[in-house]
Amino acid sequence: MGGISMGGGHGGKKSVDSEIPLVPFIDLLLCCVMFLLVTAVWNQLARLNANQQQPGQQAPNEPPPEEKIKVILQVQASGFVIASTAGDRIEIPKSGDTYDMEALREKLQERKRLEPNRKDLVVAPEDGVKYSDVVASMDMVMGEGFPDMSLSDGSTL
Amino acid sequence: MPIHQPGKVLLKNVPLEFVAKKTGGHGAKPVDVSIPLVPFIDFLITLVVFLLMSFSASGELLAQKANLTMPKATNVVDIEMAPVISVDPIVIALDGRRMADTATLAADPKVERIEALIQDLETLKRNWSILHPQEPFPGQVILQADVATDYRVIKKLMFSAGQAGYANISFAVNRHGEKK
Repeated sequence: MGGISMGGGHGGKKSVDSEIPLVPFIDLLLCCVMFLLVTAVWNQLARLNANQQQPGQQAPNEPPPEEKIKVILQVQASGFVIASTAGDRIEIPKSGDTYDMEALREKLQERKRLEPNRKDLVVAPEDGVKYSDVVASMDMVMGEGFPDMSLSDGSTL
Repeated sequence: MPIHQPGKVLLKNVPLEFVAKKTGGHGAKPVDVSIPLVPFIDFLITLVVFLLMSFSASGELLAQKANLTMPKATNVVDIEMAPVISVDPIVIALDGRRMADTATLAADPKVERIEALIQDLETLKRNWSILHPQEPFPGQVILQADVATDYRVIKKLMFSAGQAGYANISFAVNRHGEKK
């Protein structure tokens, strides 16, 4: 076992060879392994906030805010549409059966360059759009610097 | 020619004493066997480090369901304790209790209240207020839905949750990649 020879030990002197007690150390490690196995979390789950309060909607007991231009990302069956209440509208059609996420990223970055102080954006999916596409577009919006993203109903806008 | 028992021939022609001792076959083989503890400890330490990396002090707040594939997302926040509405391809459940059928909700275009869900959420809200009388109600609910779920179903669930006083809705996702 794990002995450490310190040299010397001749001439009737007390031996200086010392032995590290490995068995208690192994016991400790085994206990650690058991505890960590029980408390281990194997799936990396997280959450994406879906704020329902749109920019411009006032919370109770707050003074009415000034009129603000809303930027809306519509998730439609045919693709994305980035529109605003000022009247502009950019369409990003699907590439084949999938949504063109790279084109959406470019357009969002462009929008961020035009309005660097804007943090809000309304994601408005339509009925029939898959949940995975809604989450992917929300994730993209959050990642491109619109942390005050809110989720709305596409049919009401 | 007489037949005799064959002796040891391997390495017999090497004129070295220690080789002759090794190949001679004299003396009994020692029976003391020591267990190699050092590699065992190395293995245990590696295991401990690996398990420490997957350790979570908060435990598993949300379980992955077998018939439900959650979407992946990057820009996410950690999960907190809240009521969980799970939407699999067949049924919608609140904390494991069946509330509605997914197909029925997906078929109807009208946005209407899911009464069973609203009642249960209101009960949870009342219980929370009794247990935490000094704290404001956070109104948080986690929606754990399958990737193929129609947004119409999600919309109805969000509407019903809002009707019950749960305005902070989060979507449960699988963490994927590094946050920006």
